[in-house]
Order: sequence, then structure tokens, then C-alpha cells
Amino acid sequence: MANTLFTNVRILDGSGSHPVPGSVLVQGNRIKAVGRGNAAVSTAGAIVIDGAGATLMPGMCEAHTHFSWNDAATLAGIQTMPLEEHVLWCAKVAKRYLEAGFTSCVGAACAKPRLDVVIRNAIDAGQIPGPRYLAASQEITVPGALGDETLPHLPFPEFSFGVNVNGVDDMRKAVRMFLKYGVDSIKLNLSGDNFTPQSPADTAWMTDAEVAAAMEEVRMRGKRGTAHARSAASVKQALRHGIEVIYHASYTDAETLDMLEEARDRVFVAPGIAILYAMLHEAEPWGITHEKAVQMGYQHEWDHAVESLKAMHRRGVRILFGGDYGFAMTPHCQNARDLEFFVKYLGFTPGEAIRCATQYGGQIMMKPGELGLIKEGFLADLLLVDGDPMANLGVLRDPKRLLAVMKDGVFAKQPEVAAERAWGRAA
Amino acid sequence: MADVLFTNVRIFDGGGDAPFTGDVLVQGNKISRVVKTAFGQRTPPIAGAQVIDGAGAFLMPGMVEAHTHFSWNDQPSLDAIQRMPPEEHILWCAEVAKRYLDMGWTSCVGAAAAKPRLDVVIRNAINDGTIIGPRYLAASQEITVPGGLGDTTQPHLPQHEFAFGAIVSGPHEMRRCVRMFAKYGVDTLKINLSGESITGMPSESSQFTEEEIAVLVDEAKTWGKRVAAHARSTWSIKQCIKHGIEVIYHASFADEEALDLLEQHKFEHFVAPGLAWLINTCHHASQWGLTPEVTRKMGYHRELECAIESMKAMRKRGIRILPGGDYGFAWTPHGTNAKDLEYFVKFVGMSPMEALLSATAWGGPMMRMGKVLGYIREGYLADILLVDGDPLADITVLQDKSRILAVMKDGEFHRAPPLRAAARTSSATRWAA
Repeated sequence: MANTLFTNVRILDGSGSHPVPGSVLVQGNRIKAVGRGNAAVSTAGAIVIDGAGATLMPGMCEAHTHFSWNDAATLAGIQTMPLEEHVLWCAKVAKRYLEAGFTSCVGAACAKPRLDVVIRNAIDAGQIPGPRYLAASQEITVPGALGDETLPHLPFPEFSFGVNVNGVDDMRKAVRMFLKYGVDSIKLNLSGDNFTPQSPADTAWMTDAEVAAAMEEVRMRGKRGTAHARSAASVKQALRHGIEVIYHASYTDAETLDMLEEARDRVFVAPGIAILYAMLHEAEPWGITHEKAVQMGYQHEWDHAVESLKAMHRRGVRILFGGDYGFAMTPHCQNARDLEFFVKYLGFTPGEAIRCATQYGGQIMMKPGELGLIKEGFLADLLLVDGDPMANLGVLRDPKRLLAVMKDGVFAKQPEVAAERAWGRAA
Repeated sequence: MADVLFTNVRIFDGGGDAPFTGDVLVQGNKISRVVKTAFGQRTPPIAGAQVIDGAGAFLMPGMVEAHTHFSWNDQPSLDAIQRMPPEEHILWCAEVAKRYLDMGWTSCVGAAAAKPRLDVVIRNAINDGTIIGPRYLAASQEITVPGGLGDTTQPHLPQHEFAFGAIVSGPHEMRRCVRMFAKYGVDTLKINLSGESITGMPSESSQFTEEEIAVLVDEAKTWGKRVAAHARSTWSIKQCIKHGIEVIYHASFADEEALDLLEQHKFEHFVAPGLAWLINTCHHASQWGLTPEVTRKMGYHRELECAIESMKAMRKRGIRILPGGDYGFAWTPHGTNAKDLEYFVKFVGMSPMEALLSATAWGGPMMRMGKVLGYIREGYLADILLVDGDPLADITVLQDKSRILAVMKDGEFHRAPPLRAAARTSSATRWAA
């Protein structure tokens, strides 16, 4: 692996502070030296990338990724993709995420039992390109709740998006199956979702005994519990049982906020607000007019989510970006749009928004001391960006502005060589 | 897609003539001009075309592998292939597909998949650009009988998921099986007509009733599919000719009658012997417990001798013998397929020219693209290799990836030729001019 020296770059270190000019030396898969200003950094044997003033920042971490959502408009549309095609789809999406600057992704559920695990293993083995990845289970749910896509006359488990459990024994069995397959996290659908009208967002579905059984198994194997929790009751249930990653958390009351604040050093909240926005304002091509979305409860949820997340932000709860990209109305790789939403609707500063994607990203990837910052000794996951994300977060979702992506010291997207290429000859 | 002009190359056009120095212009996905020039002569540039100065390199049609199993996973047994879960298996197939293209095989004919849909899915994914791979014809699983080659179920594990092949018994089951694969979208139905010594059923024995074979052929015709057969035994070779089974794999034990029949119908059949399997099982598999003593007992040494005699005889009679076959086992790893051309020269008595033609000129019709594929001629599809060296002098250069300077499929470089060293001296790169 060749060493790489980025010179003449503006270093946005990911901590939330403003960029400073300087240079960064990557040796092997780690950042060896960070030189501010004109401080000399040894170039010994390194490939020199003259950034010409571009921004160098840590690779972004997507906190709620579904590689296996296939840009369809319904859960059934995802589920009808056969297994073989589904794996190739996931592989293709993984590559796209990496090239779009997401050098880490936290799997938040997959549509068939082993998709996430297989993709993670293939990435780790170097078989396919993709971000660092934490593999999730399917969504575990209960009959009638979000993810139960069986129909009365088609009760087959293969027909279902999530895994249906009923009672403590069922839960334990399902969790053990996924742990056997090698997941990093177990996903529980604690609340409903307005996407599935029979189980709306402000409801809760699982018994405490079921959640406790799941978390007992999770802890026994040293894995992580994550929850789909939109309602206040479900967020509190997640916190009571030590679930570390809370997705959505739209509805909160004072008690919920107090509990979240108390747990802020161990929990992560990834709201995934893009899907709420898209359902309200951008889903008409798929038959969901604004009126219909309002009727489904999306405006109500949006209003509450904005207030809840502002309150959490004030209380120092770590809010991360990403979530539920992979539907027709939220296509994959537009995920950095979340950062713009955080600034526009939640009152984040651009620096705070970037920190969600970088420093907090390293933390949710379980590598707090070595991932998510441009700092000596940290893993070399880096983006070279044409423009200043602090001034315009939009540049982060423009492939043309993303000049280079490096993961683990290796370019996933090479900076272009500007020198006119003489057409050569085969020697 | 930029147009490409190859200049200063030695062109082997697939027609059987000695290569000549010239230029080849590729426009879109087709070869639009082939001209002779003098060596070193400068050619006027063509507006918009990227010029590749081949500096005398050998330019030839992309090769066609006639008997490909992407889903064989370089393991030592059928069981080890079958134990790979479908998710991993499809990723494996995608990786292998790319490897074939890397090695200059711009077309491959699927000869059976290890799970029902692997071949079809890979073909579709190549065609829609999801993955990188050669032109591909997708095969069914091997259709076999209980106890035959490909039935890897066990008495206490009878579930069909354990089976490598699709197991049928009787015309009714055969018809159902063919219809299932036709529904999935295969191009070819693969039937195991003979045994295979390593599985316990000798290569010289045969399976299936004539009635079952007739049902398969009839149903395949209905759906417009091709039939290919694993046919090592004498009876099975004759069955292929009798029933019009177009692709005959192995054909080791061809007797005089079989040879006569084949000769009479030589433009209706393709033979791909897959000699690599026999040679390497006999001589290079000790590491996996298959010592020469073991394989001799199995009958492989005798089969190898018979197969070589059969192929020599077929060659003399002008029967089309094609390279490829059973790469994807531990001792015949994927990507080493060009050894078949060496074996044709070394054992079957082909000239290097004949061996090259078997991979190109005969590859076109094998892909059912005879009028557009397999030649460097105006109007043909631009599947092109640029080779450092002369395969006509040393057929083994095609086994060396570093000697295959460029691989073009359908007018696009899968691997562009390396830039001249001088262009790479600067270590600093800039993104902004």
C-alpha cells in the first residue's frame, strides 16, 4: 500500500470546528501526520495529492442503512425481489455508498435473513468494494405490526419483510437464529409506522418480556440492540432495556427526554427524517399526495419529530444522520441530504451537522478512538471535496464535487489526474 | 463510447490465414474497418477515435469458453460446491465472471449451474450492467436420475436442496423439470447422459431412458432452448446424435459408429471434451487425495487415453472441437482455461492455428452468434484481445494475464492497454489544472 500525502488542503477535522489549511500524510491505513498551515510533513515515498485548496474531511458514516431496500415504493416491492438478484443489488449499492463518500454504514435491517451479513463479510474479505459495515438482522416484529407483510391467505414467513415473533420463546429463537448467522445488531420494531396504516407511528407493539428476552440474548453474545421506535412509549421501552441505537424517536414527552438525556453517553438517535419529508412533499409520483400523507399522519409526526429532535439536541443527545434511504421517494446515496435538514429544520450549525456524520459516526461504528476524525493515529477514511461543506452542505451529495474517497488508506475513488493524458501505446 | 483505432498490430482475424500487420477501427460496438499496412507505418488519425499503437502486438478475436461453470467454486468435491449458501454463491459467480473476462474469455457458454437460478441471474446481471462479465449463455442445473452423476443427496439427507443436480425419474418429472428451468429463463438445458467415474458411476455407463431423453428434447424445442449433454460413454454420444442434442460434452469413448455418425452430422454438433479435467485428475490432484494410483483405479487414466484417441479421430474428420470444460475444481481453478488450447496442440495434434480457431471462429456459432462474433472483420462485434507475443508460436502466452495487454468486449475496454511507461513517471497528481 503506497503512502499518500494530501497537500494544500483545507482540513475539516470532523470535530465540528472550522477548517484549517494544511497537509495530511497517510501511511498504510492510518493517518500518520497532520500538519497545520505550512508545517512541513515528510513526503518520503508518498504519492502527493495537491488538493489545490479542496476540503479534506473524514469519510461520512451513515447511521441507518438498508442496502437491501431496492428503491421500490412499497415493502412488498422489496420483498418480491428474488434472493440472488437481491444479493447482487446489495453489492452494487454498497459500492455506490462508498463512492458517494460513506466510508462507514450502520446496517439497520435487511430484507432477507442473511443479506447484511453476507455483504459485510464480502466487503471485509475484499471480494466486493463497500464501506465499513455493521450487519443487521431483519426487522423483528409481531403479527400485524410494521414488517409483517404476510397476508391471511399467504401466511408464509418467506413472504414477510420482517420476522414475526409471538411471545418470549419465539423471540429468543429468532434472535438466536440471527446471532448464529453472525449479525452485529438485532433490530426490533417496537413502534408502528405511518407507512403501514394498520400500525401507525404513535403505537407500541412488543411486550416488555419479549424485549427483555431479545436483549438478554444480545448481551450474552456481546452484540447490539437497535430499535425502530417512533412513539414515546417505544422510545422509553428501548431505553429501559438498554437498546443502544434508537431510530426515529419522533414522539417524546418530558419523561422520554429526561431518560434520553440521562442515557446520552450510551445511546445514539438516528431520526431518519428524510422519509417523513419525502412522504409529505415528494411522494406524489408514487400515489401519495400531500393530502394523503397528511391523512396518513406524516404532518403530525413531522411536527412532533422536529420539536423532539430540537429538544434532544439542546440536551446533548447524539443525533446521527441517515435513515430509510432506499425507497422510491428516498433513493439511495442522497443520504447526505439529512445534514441539510438538520441545519434547516433542527437548528444545527453546519459544524454540528458534520460532526454527526464524522466524530459521532466513529462512535456508532464502535471505534470512537480511531475513526471519524482527521487526527494522527486515526484510520484513514477521508474525503476530498471541491468546495466548503461548512458553507454549503449540498456539495456532499454532488458526485462531481466529491473528488476522492479513501477508505482504510486505499482510494475507492481516485482523484483525477489533471495533466492531459497522452494516449499511450501498449509496450 | 469512444471509437478506438488499433494501429500497428498483427491481426489474426479468425479466418485461418497467417496474421498480417494492419489497423483495426472500432466504432460503437462493432469493428468498422480492417486494413493491411506496412509495419511501423503511421496511419492518419481518425477524428474522435482513441489511437492505440500496438507496437506490433497480436490482435485477435476474444475467446469463447464452450463449457463454463461459474458456480463451481474451486473446491475438491461436488459436496463442497453445494454447501456454499446461495448468497455467497451468487457473489462468487459474479467474481468468477469477471475473472473470465480478465483472462480474455469474452464469451462463455454455461454448461450447468450448481443451484437452479445462478446462471440465469448472472447472465441477466451482466447484460444489465450490474456486474462485469463475458457474454454468457445460461444453463440449467445438471438434470440427472436418482443415483446418477449430480445426485448428491444421501439416504438420511434426501432433501433436494442437498443435490447438485436436478433429479428426475420418468418422462413426467422430466417435462416438469424442463419447464421449470425454461420458466427461469435458461438458454440451455443440461442433461447428464453418462456417468462420471469419481462419483462412483463409471464414465462408460449411461443413464436415462430414451423416452426421458425424447421428452427433454421435445420440451426444449417447444421453448426454443438448446440441449447440452454430459456424454462420456459410447451410448450417450450416440444418443446425442440420434436426438439432435447440439452440444456434446466430453465424448471420451467414441467408437467407429459414433465417429461416423458425428462426421455425418458434423455441422449440427459441437464437441467440448474438457480434457483439463481428465489430465489434472490423473496427474495433478494428489494434494486432494487423488493420487495417480487412486485415479487409475477409478478408470481416469484409461479414459484419458480413449478421450485423446477420440479427439484425434474427430479432428481428422473435421468435427468441431472446442476449448473449455470443468474448470472450477480445486485442481482446475477458474481462469486457467487457456490450458485447453495447449492440450489441443500437445495431445490432440492440432496446430496452434487450429487451436486458436477452435476458441474464436467456432466460438461464434457456439454462442449462436456465428454471423457477428468470432472474427476480426468489418461488421463483426468488437470482442478483441491484444496479446504481447505470438500465440501461433507459443500457445501458452494466452494463459498469462500479464501478456493479455487489453480485453475489449462489445467495443468497450474491460482492460485498457497499459500506458507507455513515460507517461507514468510523475508521482504527483493534481485534481485542478
